[in-house]
Amino acid sequence: MGLEFLARVRRTTLWVGALAAIVGMTYSGFAAGGGLAAGAVWSLVNLFLVERLVVALTGSDRGTPAAARGAALALAGMLGLFAAGAFLLMALPAEPLLVGFGFPFGVMLLKACSTLLLESAAWRRFTASRWQVALAVALLIAATWAIAERSVAASGGAVAAGPSGAAHGDAAHADAAHGDAGEHGASSKPTMFPNFLGVVIEANHGKPWADALHHVEPVVFSLFVALLLSGIAIAANRRRALRPGRFQAGVELVVQGLFDFVASVLGEKHARRYLPFLGSLFLYILAMNWIGFVPGFHAATANINITAGLALCTFLFVQFTGMRELGFGGWVDHMAGSPRSAIEWGLVPIMLPIHIIGELAKPLSLACRLFGNIFGEDMLLVGFASLGIMMLGFIPNVPVGIPLQLPFLFFCLLTSTLQALVFTTLSTVYLLLMLPHDDHGHEGEAHPAH
Amino acid sequence: MPDPREEKPRDSSLRSAGLLLAIPTLLIVSPLVGFFLGSVVDRWLKCSPWGVLLGLVLGFVAAGRETYLIYRRYLAEEERSRRR
Repeated sequence: MGLEFLARVRRTTLWVGALAAIVGMTYSGFAAGGGLAAGAVWSLVNLFLVERLVVALTGSDRGTPAAARGAALALAGMLGLFAAGAFLLMALPAEPLLVGFGFPFGVMLLKACSTLLLESAAWRRFTASRWQVALAVALLIAATWAIAERSVAASGGAVAAGPSGAAHGDAAHADAAHGDAGEHGASSKPTMFPNFLGVVIEANHGKPWADALHHVEPVVFSLFVALLLSGIAIAANRRRALRPGRFQAGVELVVQGLFDFVASVLGEKHARRYLPFLGSLFLYILAMNWIGFVPGFHAATANINITAGLALCTFLFVQFTGMRELGFGGWVDHMAGSPRSAIEWGLVPIMLPIHIIGELAKPLSLACRLFGNIFGEDMLLVGFASLGIMMLGFIPNVPVGIPLQLPFLFFCLLTSTLQALVFTTLSTVYLLLMLPHDDHGHEGEAHPAH
Repeated sequence: MPDPREEKPRDSSLRSAGLLLAIPTLLIVSPLVGFFLGSVVDRWLKCSPWGVLLGLVLGFVAAGRETYLIYRRYLAEEERSRRR
């Protein structure tokens, strides 16, 4: 078994560790789940450093300065790892840490056993008949179910008496889905799918920093998306080549598509100037909408404060563009309805508030439309997921449900994209309405902006 | 062969669609903004319900005016693209 086997063990352990951490956090609290995850990560890093050390000492380039450097780094890493382990033992409970530590070894053992089993003659004889296999699988499921039920009954409802806020919060959510909806639903506000930040906040409920974090939860997710997009942009610009690789080509495709879109509304001349703002707006909203579909994350645009912020930025940008293109006097003239005759001047006290109302209506409509659609999508998915869990509520102690929200995920993916497009299209149109008529890439006589 | 420095003729259907997309939302939201501003004026000048009524009227007028201007712009774009 070579290094490739160890790479497969690492990948499998990551998945097993992540699943175990989620189950541990759900049923035993944040500390237990965190301990499982930390133990698994610690063990994987340890395994990686041992592998590096062994390769450096026994590989084909042993004795060379590079191998000696590799060995020294691996040893230094191990020292740091042991220090981190001591800290983890102080901060987290020992049992989950030890269980997490054992994950890679458990995976190795299972993979080795399965390799021996699958290559054996007895297995080939057993799997020759599909009915034999089906019967064996059915018996295995029944035996696992009986053992699980007996062990949960023996632990005396440990799930309901979870020590931390995270278990309480999620058990309350599961209870609501298992048919106590009338009792819980009447007193609680609509629930969302749990996210990483929400789990941390629930686990530390009552602490000042957790309460403060709860108020800025959407801002944290929007900041994460902004950093992610910035990272992609920086990475794409770092090693630009005349013959692009796949990553650069992908980014160029996106930028070209956005340029074509903006140019078809504003004309090429203005598209070059306003593409950075409008293109970033579209990608930012799209990424925030889509990240809500990733388990553990939350769509920040499902919060009115985020969409209002985006709409306000757009409104201020459009007004600033109007002032820059028309001059301050021209902008005031535009807001007053461009009076030219005595009657029009007389109507200025009426036209000015009318135009102000018309301008204020634009960001309000942008904010409310985006918020309403994304929040509604979240509610739709939560509702159908809860329904799916309730449908299997007759099976005791089984925290799974029929994924009724699955067909709606594809619908919501489409509407999320559409809402990002609508927001950007309307922002572009509002910009178009502010710009002078002669400057949108077409020939013809000049018209002042209306 | 077309000069790459020259602007490409662009399909204006997206511009027209975008202009028309703005109309329904402005029709609904402008009276709401007028209502809100009117209620602020009512609270400030203590002249309820005249502030709200005036705000609603101005909101409806703003909605109609914006719709008219956008539709006029849409017709101008359609005429320009037909001439091309």
